[in-house]
Amino acid sequence: MSSSMAFFSSTTPHLPSFSSSSKTHFPINPFLSLKTQRHLFVSVRATENGSGAAIALEVKKDSEVAEEGSNGVPVAAAVEELGVKFEDPKWVSGTWDLKQFQKGGATDWDAVIDAEVKRRKWLEDNPESSNNDFPVVFYTSIIPWWAWMKRFHLPEAELLNGRAAMVGFFMAYFVDSLTGVGLVDQMGNFFCKTLLFVAVAGVLFIRKNEDIDTLKKLIDETTFYDKQWQATWQDEKKE
Amino acid sequence: MASVALKSFVGLRQSSPEKHHSSITVLSKPLPSNRLRYRRLNVVAGKSSPKITGRNLRVAVIGGGPAGGAAAETLAKGGIETILIERKMDNAKPCGGAIPLCMVGEFDLPLDIIDRRVTKMKMISPSNVAVDIGRTLKPHEYIGMVRREILDAYLRERAAGAGATIINGLFVKMDKPTDKFAPYVIHYNEYDGKVGSAGKKVTMEVDAIIGADGANSRVAKSIDAGDYEYAIAFQERIKIPDDKMQYYEDLAEMYVGDDVSPDFYGWVFPKCDHVAVGTGTVTHKPDIKKFQLATRLRARDKILGGKIIRVEAHPIPEHPRPRRLSNRVALVGDAAGYVTKCSGEGIYFAAKSGRMCAEAIVEGSVNGTRMVDEADLRNYLKKWDKTYWPTYKVLDILQKVFYRSNPAREAFVEMCADEYVQKMTFDSYLYKTVVPGSPLEDLKLAVNTIGSLVRANALRKKMAKI
Repeated sequence: MSSSMAFFSSTTPHLPSFSSSSKTHFPINPFLSLKTQRHLFVSVRATENGSGAAIALEVKKDSEVAEEGSNGVPVAAAVEELGVKFEDPKWVSGTWDLKQFQKGGATDWDAVIDAEVKRRKWLEDNPESSNNDFPVVFYTSIIPWWAWMKRFHLPEAELLNGRAAMVGFFMAYFVDSLTGVGLVDQMGNFFCKTLLFVAVAGVLFIRKNEDIDTLKKLIDETTFYDKQWQATWQDEKKE
Repeated sequence: MASVALKSFVGLRQSSPEKHHSSITVLSKPLPSNRLRYRRLNVVAGKSSPKITGRNLRVAVIGGGPAGGAAAETLAKGGIETILIERKMDNAKPCGGAIPLCMVGEFDLPLDIIDRRVTKMKMISPSNVAVDIGRTLKPHEYIGMVRREILDAYLRERAAGAGATIINGLFVKMDKPTDKFAPYVIHYNEYDGKVGSAGKKVTMEVDAIIGADGANSRVAKSIDAGDYEYAIAFQERIKIPDDKMQYYEDLAEMYVGDDVSPDFYGWVFPKCDHVAVGTGTVTHKPDIKKFQLATRLRARDKILGGKIIRVEAHPIPEHPRPRRLSNRVALVGDAAGYVTKCSGEGIYFAAKSGRMCAEAIVEGSVNGTRMVDEADLRNYLKKWDKTYWPTYKVLDILQKVFYRSNPAREAFVEMCADEYVQKMTFDSYLYKTVVPGSPLEDLKLAVNTIGSLVRANALRKKMAKI
């Protein structure tokens, strides 16, 4: 409470502009105005003018809200009319027309992949209604496995193999210079084989800096649910 | 006390007559052999608890939903004096309303309780790839859609018929017992039918309490059961024109996508004469209205011309509370947090846990003749965890893998087109058992899943570059 009040006072210069702009929105649709603001300001507003009724809906548990303002309003009007739909000459009846992707007698799968990427990107930014009369029946599995390999796996594999080779060369040199054990003899040593395994695994799993955190989070995630279920048995052990 | 009882039982075999005589007074009933099979010696059945004289065991069930109704019925049938306290007898709970086939059989539900039998489902991916599932269902298999007010009332009536006392009242608090076998004192407001009245304050002594009062359980608060993460499910009931309703005659839809929900799904479920369009989320609760708009947009062509007749929201627990049991108070159903991940199913598990807890009490008290203690109630937890842990864990893994991101959801919908997946999914949903399929098919499925995930993620990487 005090922290949000401090926040309020520290952003006093900003807040009046917010409240003046939102006052125009407020009578129309209280929910809409709250949505356009950041979550932080929502909580400040709640403490400030007590119009926490709308936020209370979000936060209050088990609310059964009687219809307000959307009572009996036809659904079509309640939803903004988005006239733009995804259209492309090569997208025919819910799938990519492979005949239009011919290049030199064979299907140009790279172009199909590009087209699908564009379509998905468009749909993410402009979601569309799903229609029974024009169903989407394109499955990515029609693109053959070697097209995926060539396009995605091979460049990445080249990158990773390059990294592994560089690390391997340097480590072999380093170990040789320290212990005098040559490359062939290193391969017979258990410790060196372990190092090799660690190097390969590291190159495979840690491709970006963020991957270290991601892996840690994943490991936590796999056991988190189990811990939540076991919590009630911790009581018994304490007794 | 328990270990003493154990020792004297052993002493009984080799003892002299005097010892024999004293041990008889401690154990008035011979312990059957399976009672000795406990992990720890100081956890023993209530057989060492005192026999109740002059009356039966009294148990209060707080909450009259599926969990409370099932618990009260099983308790009453087991000869225990049961009271069920429900605050709103005609409560039309906001709920998806889907029950699996096994619930109809296990709880002997009459078929006219079921408004609709859903035999087809449509899964719709973020890029609107739509997959029909349900081809593998046999003619007698379906997902039942019920109205909660009808189901809850039916289970309560059955409990009343078995001998339970149904009280319309609001549970306020409980006084913990001062002694090991002293009774709990529950305080509740009994409603006398007058509109707007706060009710008459009543106190009652009971020996055990089953908390079946839902996601905001007061019983849970009283025993410091701890909190859980919960999802907000938001739903609008929409009455659509008859020709559009025809499409939803026996079909339910699931929409997945970041626009619809970042960690759950949006749905269109057919109800008795209208559809329920809704969505839910755990992590982005303030944006729930935005997600609802997006769900309505995705279903727009199919619900065009519909009128919103009701708007409702309710919390769905994501995992069990840290403490589901304390002394002689046990939680069941939503109060305990028994909602599955991935599908968010709770009705069946509520009813089943109510029944299991009641069975444990009946067994531990030998049909109400002896006092129960915490160990008897822990039996219910043990049985529950053992029976349903695989189901919960599998659904958790599915949610973690497939609801992560748009590519994962695309892969999910692609996988659903596979017949083997459909068969496995429906079998485990309808009968609540994780059935191991054929290993070869499982391997093929694993390979296909990885393939789908890899493809979808590869496309997403390209999308990020645009």
